[in-house]
Amino acid sequence: MLGQVLDDILVSRSTGACITATRHFPARAAVEAPFPASLDPRLGEALRARGITALYSHQARAWELVEKGEHVVVVTPTASGKTLCYNLPVLQALVQQPDARVLYLFPTKALAQDQLAELEQLAKQLPELKMFTYDGDTPQDARRAVRARANLVLTNPDMLHSGILPHHTKWATLFQSLRFVVIDELHAYRGVFGSHVANLLRRLRRICRHYGSDPQFIMASATVANPGEHASAIIGAPVEEITESGAPTGDKLFICYNPPVVNPELGIRAPYLGETAHLALRFLRERIPTIVFAQSRLSTEVLLTAIKAGVADKTGDSGIVRGYRGGYLPTRRRAVEQGLRVGDVLGVVSTNALELGVDIGHLDAAVLAGYPGTIASLWQQAGRAGRRSERSAAILVASSAPLDQFMMSHPDYLFGASPEHARINPDNPFILVNHLKCATFELPFQDGERFGERDVKRELAALEDEGVLHRAGSRWHWANETYPADHISLRTVTTDNFLVIDTTARDERQTKRRQIIAEVDWGSAFATIYPKAIYLVESDPYEVQELHFREDEEKVAYVKRVHVDYFTDAVSAKGVWILRRLEDRPRPSFLAEQGEVLVAEKVVGFKKIKMTTLENVGSGEVELPQQEMQTTSVWLTVPPAALARVSPSREELLDGLRGVTHLLHHLAPIFLLCDVRDLGSWLGDTTPAEAGTTVATRESARRRLLDADTFQPTIYLYDSHAGGIGLAERLFEVLPELVQHASATLRACPCAWGCPSCVGPVNEVGRRAKATAAAILALLAS
Amino acid sequence: MPTLDDLRRVIRRIEGARPPRPAPGRVETVLGGEVLETDAGSILAVQHDVALAASYGAVRLGEITTVAPATLALLSPNVGAQVDPRGLVFLDTETTGLAGGTGTYAFLVGLARIDGDHLRLTQFFMRDLDEEPALVAALAPRLAGASGIVTFNGGGFDVPLLETRFILQRRRWPGALPHLDLMHPSRRVWGAWLDDCRLATLEQRVLGVERERDVPGSAIPSLYFQFLRRRNAVPLRDVLAHNRHDVLALVGVLGWLTRALDGAVPLRPEEHAGVGRLWERSDVERACACYEAALAAGLDGALAQLVRLRLARWEKRRARWAAARALWERATVHRPASGGTTTFDPRPWEELAKFHEHRARDLAAARRIVTRALDLATDAGAPGRILDAFTYRLARLERRLGCDPHGGARRPPDPPALRAGSESRPSASALADRR
Repeated sequence: MLGQVLDDILVSRSTGACITATRHFPARAAVEAPFPASLDPRLGEALRARGITALYSHQARAWELVEKGEHVVVVTPTASGKTLCYNLPVLQALVQQPDARVLYLFPTKALAQDQLAELEQLAKQLPELKMFTYDGDTPQDARRAVRARANLVLTNPDMLHSGILPHHTKWATLFQSLRFVVIDELHAYRGVFGSHVANLLRRLRRICRHYGSDPQFIMASATVANPGEHASAIIGAPVEEITESGAPTGDKLFICYNPPVVNPELGIRAPYLGETAHLALRFLRERIPTIVFAQSRLSTEVLLTAIKAGVADKTGDSGIVRGYRGGYLPTRRRAVEQGLRVGDVLGVVSTNALELGVDIGHLDAAVLAGYPGTIASLWQQAGRAGRRSERSAAILVASSAPLDQFMMSHPDYLFGASPEHARINPDNPFILVNHLKCATFELPFQDGERFGERDVKRELAALEDEGVLHRAGSRWHWANETYPADHISLRTVTTDNFLVIDTTARDERQTKRRQIIAEVDWGSAFATIYPKAIYLVESDPYEVQELHFREDEEKVAYVKRVHVDYFTDAVSAKGVWILRRLEDRPRPSFLAEQGEVLVAEKVVGFKKIKMTTLENVGSGEVELPQQEMQTTSVWLTVPPAALARVSPSREELLDGLRGVTHLLHHLAPIFLLCDVRDLGSWLGDTTPAEAGTTVATRESARRRLLDADTFQPTIYLYDSHAGGIGLAERLFEVLPELVQHASATLRACPCAWGCPSCVGPVNEVGRRAKATAAAILALLAS
Repeated sequence: MPTLDDLRRVIRRIEGARPPRPAPGRVETVLGGEVLETDAGSILAVQHDVALAASYGAVRLGEITTVAPATLALLSPNVGAQVDPRGLVFLDTETTGLAGGTGTYAFLVGLARIDGDHLRLTQFFMRDLDEEPALVAALAPRLAGASGIVTFNGGGFDVPLLETRFILQRRRWPGALPHLDLMHPSRRVWGAWLDDCRLATLEQRVLGVERERDVPGSAIPSLYFQFLRRRNAVPLRDVLAHNRHDVLALVGVLGWLTRALDGAVPLRPEEHAGVGRLWERSDVERACACYEAALAAGLDGALAQLVRLRLARWEKRRARWAAARALWERATVHRPASGGTTTFDPRPWEELAKFHEHRARDLAAARRIVTRALDLATDAGAPGRILDAFTYRLARLERRLGCDPHGGARRPPDPPALRAGSESRPSASALADRR
């Protein structure tokens, strides 16, 4: 069935021409190893009861290394039996020494629940195992019992940070006997989050030392370029890596699909979301289980609407296709996962939320709406389709973004590129100092004691001068009334979520309960649930009536079910101001600088966009507070004289510079090995922040530049994580190569006057933009 | 979240010169007391003896020496009937904050224990944060030798905090020690009518003690932090005095409670009601007698309503239906007011309806009660769940009476399929009925 649909896509006139590359991954047989001789017979029995009679080679290798006492990281594809690599040695230890303790860390509560269910299956006949999750959902009165009884505790970094380590005396038995720490989904701990987790583990190991234990770490990760290096940076100790999978894989076809050009003059391609829906429907109509990945929450909903409409004509019911994304309530998500596992749900449209190891069974086709931003995500998402034995397919549908188009024209890069390096910087001063506070709160610091490998004497002395620590005898003590863990969130997304409450029923009938339909994190609330916004939940539109965001009130959005055929897209105003110059490098034709900036953003209005045609059908204004963040940035300024040689017209120059900004921003990830969304860009000037921080929409910023006394526009490329995770510094180093690459990309673009894949669509940037941008890039490259 | 500016300030200070620390003054001369040597270093111990014949406000301290162990057991389920009152240790801590967790220190621990004809009050004070091992070493034998400890909110705060300190110093906390936390009985006795039930409030309103120059508890951590930096102990004299008052107030409150239970003090109506709640655990007859005394002495308002309903509940459990019914009927007359508008109390109505329907088997009377309740509830704008409960009850009564189902009902009942079985629906009042 799948073969027929694929043949059809490959040869049919409408789709065949859009395929820019295919790659065939042949099936591979399993490489097995017998059960290790040291395996406890009770565990061997439990495995056989589940139909497992041998291990895959990587599982056997993990056993061997763990037995030798090494820290281990296992990096093998989805569905290769990764969890057994850690479950087996852990269960062995607990069966043989029920007094031993084990801690499992998962990035989310849901994954911990999943794993608990799997462990319980495996451990049915092993009464000595007492396994519990311990997280924000654990009722207060059950917590004491978990602390006293559990020999295997499943939790998440946030809970370890604020609930367990600062109360380690209550967990004394666990820390005294901690034998293993298991960290799954290690790849999730990169960037800021990873840097926090590395510090958290410095704290954990410090507490273990206090209680006289030295746990062994077993980790599992999706593919990254540097698993061993990353794992050892996270735990602060050498780690053995296992990257050869012994699990069998089925035959797989990967297709690159570039939507057809519908307007050659403007370089406009058919909308990629429409193409994605169309391809997904070809699979779904043949009842082939399919997952569709979208790159944002909004595009998830838009795609879901289109696909539901498509399956409904054929079967009369669209319930076989569901949505899945962050923000849905846990019960809804569990229902979708369950539906996928048992087969009631045939298709799912998801954000990268389903990239993680949530158990959804196996699907046969994956359609990716747009390049997911990183090579690692690409293979992770594509890997969601594929069983151990049967054939599967994955299709990447390119958007018009420069990076997507680059991948379409350079498939060898796409297939050959190494996945990104997972990078962390545990010594980022922000993050380090915050965790030092927590660590001192947990246990006083001894003179000469290191934090992980790091000497922290200077930081401790600084904290003493701040009045937070106090030195007595040979130790630094916490000397403050606060609870430091409460002031640090491990994730860039804060836990301060907005509840979305449906009032439709309440108004019709005096009803008792609040109908919560979703949650929205603080960071994206102002761009998604402003008053009058259409908020989509599994493609059902709700209109936001009120948004409560003041500090002293509960964060809620009241919404009402509506029947409209449009959705809304926020229009925001922005501004970037230089706070401090750290480094400058005058180049022949421009000045490149690097330093700290203030980025302010504010949602000022919205556009109404018709669901089916994506045309703009109206707009509105909103009044919301400005959000500010300090971060690191690179900026480049071309002297007015040099610009004047390119064109005498300020208007043309701004169009060209805007195109250059767009290109640099979208191509930078190739050099930084990061996601497009890890960077922000802005075309502004170098007014310092003291002059006031009034944000501007793109149009008014343009007007401001046009009317300025001296014409000195500045291109900012900034790190979109508060405080910066080191992207700006690296960008500063690779700037010349980036400019060269942008110049070459622009030259190679076949469009006449600019298109979404280079400087932006011509009807937005003007007919001279491409030529001007090319001239500016040539100037920058000279 | 600190800003980059905060961080820069931190870093500037790393680079800048650090101020020299002032030479430590002699803390013991300022605060009094002696340095006690332990096997884990030294700690300052400040001792005061108070004659048992002396009074703390309205209560003689010696009161507690004569209390019967059984009376102590009435105050807390953690205290068995054989705890010797003369071996009790009264304990209160001053800490570096309220946050809890391993980073909150108890820098001052006050203990009081009877010694002959006086009360010996000892305060252990950490002259610096590295004296915690000595503090714990000094506390351990004193607690181990006690028959029990008495605290105010120690269950929620002082005891877990000290337990954490003990574990950090690798010592076992004497967990088997009976613990009498006076906050719980105090809430029973005074919670319903005093504005709050803090120890300071009880000291003032019940014991009649006015402290001079007391430091507010919230200022104590920062006074200690200032002392750590500047080594000037003078402002801490007030902190030590505050702690001594708190310990004495513990003795006073315990003395008052035990005398009240013995019936040895004249009580106000509100206190009668509160003491009744203490008796409920062990002696329902005495509890009911207290409630009756409270009502007879003219108790009124919301507290009287509460007492009536509690009393009615005990009458119902003992199947004294006439008495229970009279109380419920009296309670229906009560009109609680909140913020200018009257609210509706469904509990007596519900009890009466149940009584008429299931006990007296007078369905018509039950319907009259429910109809009237619905009227009042609607007028008072009662929440939907209360209206729903009565509407549902009315529908069932009408079904059983064989009436026109819509004759007297204000709203159609919920579909019966949802509500099969007669009393399976959760009752509108949480307090009510456990048949």
